[in-house]
Amino acid sequence: MLTAVKNQLRVCLLSIKYNMMREMVNKVAFLTNVAFMVLNNASILVQWFILFRLRDDVGGYTFREILFLWGLIAASFGLSHILFARVFSLSELIIGGKLDAYLVQPKNVLASVMTSATDVSAIGDFMYGIVLVCVCKPGVRVFFLFLLFTVTGAIVFTAFALLLGSLSFWFVRMDMFSNQLILGMVSFGTYPDGIFRGVSRFFLYFVMPVGMAVWHPVHVMTNFDAGMLFTVFGYVSVLSVTAAAVFYRGIRRYASGNLMEARM
Amino acid sequence: MRRVKREFASGSLRCQAGREARCLPWRKYAVIYGSVLLENLQYAANVAMGFFSYFVFIFIFIKLWEYMYRTPGELIAGYTKEQMIWYVMMTEMIWFGSNAASVAKEVSRDIRGGNIAYLMNKPYHYTLYILAKYTGEWSVRLPMYAALAAVIGTVMVGPLPRFPLTGVWAMVVCVVMGLTINAVFKLCISLLSFWIEDATPFQWLYDKLILVLGTMFPVEIFPEVLQPLFKLTPIYTVCYGPAKLIVDFSLKKCVEILAAQAVYLAAGCGLMFLVYRKGVKKLYVNGG
Amino acid sequence: MQAITVENLSKTFRVKRKEKGMYGSIKAIVHPQTEEIRAVNGVSFSVEEGEMLAFIGPNGAGKSTTIKMLTGILYPDGGKAEVMGIDPTKKRRQLAYLIGTVFGQKEQLWTHLTPYDNFRFFGAIYDLSERETERRIGELAERFGLGNFIDTPVRNLSLGQRIRCEIVASLIHKPKVLFLDEPTIGLDPVVKENVRELIKEMNKEEQTTIFLTSHDVGDIEKLCRRIIIVNDGRIVMDDSVEHLKHHYPVKEAAQANEDSFASLEEIIVEIYKSEESS
Repeated sequence: MLTAVKNQLRVCLLSIKYNMMREMVNKVAFLTNVAFMVLNNASILVQWFILFRLRDDVGGYTFREILFLWGLIAASFGLSHILFARVFSLSELIIGGKLDAYLVQPKNVLASVMTSATDVSAIGDFMYGIVLVCVCKPGVRVFFLFLLFTVTGAIVFTAFALLLGSLSFWFVRMDMFSNQLILGMVSFGTYPDGIFRGVSRFFLYFVMPVGMAVWHPVHVMTNFDAGMLFTVFGYVSVLSVTAAAVFYRGIRRYASGNLMEARM
Repeated sequence: MRRVKREFASGSLRCQAGREARCLPWRKYAVIYGSVLLENLQYAANVAMGFFSYFVFIFIFIKLWEYMYRTPGELIAGYTKEQMIWYVMMTEMIWFGSNAASVAKEVSRDIRGGNIAYLMNKPYHYTLYILAKYTGEWSVRLPMYAALAAVIGTVMVGPLPRFPLTGVWAMVVCVVMGLTINAVFKLCISLLSFWIEDATPFQWLYDKLILVLGTMFPVEIFPEVLQPLFKLTPIYTVCYGPAKLIVDFSLKKCVEILAAQAVYLAAGCGLMFLVYRKGVKKLYVNGG
Repeated sequence: MQAITVENLSKTFRVKRKEKGMYGSIKAIVHPQTEEIRAVNGVSFSVEEGEMLAFIGPNGAGKSTTIKMLTGILYPDGGKAEVMGIDPTKKRRQLAYLIGTVFGQKEQLWTHLTPYDNFRFFGAIYDLSERETERRIGELAERFGLGNFIDTPVRNLSLGQRIRCEIVASLIHKPKVLFLDEPTIGLDPVVKENVRELIKEMNKEEQTTIFLTSHDVGDIEKLCRRIIIVNDGRIVMDDSVEHLKHHYPVKEAAQANEDSFASLEEIIVEIYKSEESS
């Protein structure tokens, strides 16, 4: 059992390494991609300078918390796209019938699929997130929490994308819809939760997992609360297990061949 | 006498031919426009997906401004809450509605890929051909976003106070002018591809300028030192002007903005033709 | 021992049927109509260990569906299949260690990497140790003559070099059964010949069972002793290539040159045609 896990891990790491190598073949393009993503994210800060000129807090957040929020969402979005970029284009694989190659390998299908691509500009996102939080001089404990939440946030992003992408096993035109939802998640997650109340707040905690990906973590970073911390852990586990379960149900449907309509 | 008559006759003939030649060049742009319009109607479904992003963005801004305005009737930078939200809705409508690939990516691709050599020698001016195509693209998108904005605005924000229905025509002209100016500038940047390998970074910088400084907040909200600077950039004519006119209409403003737009359009087109001519010349010298 | 046994294997696809035009689209949403297509319809056969079998048929006859069921990609909805004594639907991953697949039209190699790096990746997938992987790469590289380009990125290789690498990648774990789906598609005659030779050698030295589908009669003649022809999801012929060549009554061809036998190509065309008309 342990060797199986070790071997699986070895394959995944090798896969990620090779993905990176592919993206770095053209070094200039690679660096410009990363640099522009950093600049791109940084330009949005203008908005927050303006808003904090008008008020001392926005949605109950100080400027420092806004930086934490941005740092966290950029880093976790980046991390999920560096390691598991394929999940975000899962629909394509399913609809195009390209899962066959993973099914004939003696490895975990989900792990192989997830690690089979990377997105270079995400490195820019990731670095930007780290730098932004470092600028706030967070102290060791908060920085450690930040790293921890970057990982949980990345898992939330990945699991949510996996869940949406897996719906393509049943509904063919899911791809556009799931991309929009992921982008929507980023949009909502870059604003403080205090501005959303009532139904929208409920929606952002329970339908679109923005709350547990970034808002709760930012609160824990500024005001440590063990209860909240474990809520995040619990949520992440439940979401991941659900997403994986839906994926495997989908694989069974894939194997039943009823998706084969277009490609017989 | 007979000679005079004949001369007269041939003269009128020539005149007729001249008129025909004069109206034909414009007709072809209409045809280009028409065919792209049809093609784009099919993509209407795809545009609907963009609605979602637009809605998310506007929804966030509604919530944001609801938080920022604490007392009813409060003014921030001279805007009421409704005006502030309508301002964003209008600038974003222009942004989303105009976001078409032909002026940016297609031109760069044509030039770098060498396709330009074939398009250049056709009996139309390449830049006007692209502009006609672009117009076909936004003609489908913009009304859709306008309708969406109108619905969101009336349902979630409330109608604008003192909105003059008689001024609508001027607003439409202003928005269309803004879109065209935007396209001309983006086209100018794309034409840089004659000299540089990749114009995307410049394209990106221009987009960021409009998006970050122009669409989210009205100019008045920025520090006063910067405001005159903003009025010199395309922000004023592309998004601030039209949106300002819609949320706070006055005849004086209307004349002011339209005049500025006319100047900008003329200058932009002049620049566009100049850059294109230089670029083509360079192509002839170096053979692409 | 039998490498593959298939009994009464069946697979039916349900396909949505849509009438033309706008009206049809709406009708399909309100009242969806499905049509059943029997892709594989009660197929039975078995393959001896070490045998080389040609599994052929016109497009859409059910070849790919059969291969997919034998490799565990698709589940059958009737009948039974066993490959090396393993039921693909139950123990797909365990089976994966014993089989190799080459799909001529689909690439499984990473094109930006060298063949060598690719092979190491596949070694890791099949849980070979570094030492084993190295030894196996050395062995296969020599046999398949990859020495000159084993360190050149795959995207810079010719199609022939690439397909050789594809085959080596699928052999890294010494599979007992190798599924080859149109391995020589798009290759020039010399390279084709070379690839066939290599497959043959492979079979001889490692007793690999080869399950081949191809539209190229040359592949079949050069490689296989036995041929199974499928059409419309059914087996229409299961015979040795030799026997088929000498005993199948071909009208036109026999008339054309009385003393010699019809070529395999002509026979196959004849079988496809007679199936169509019946």
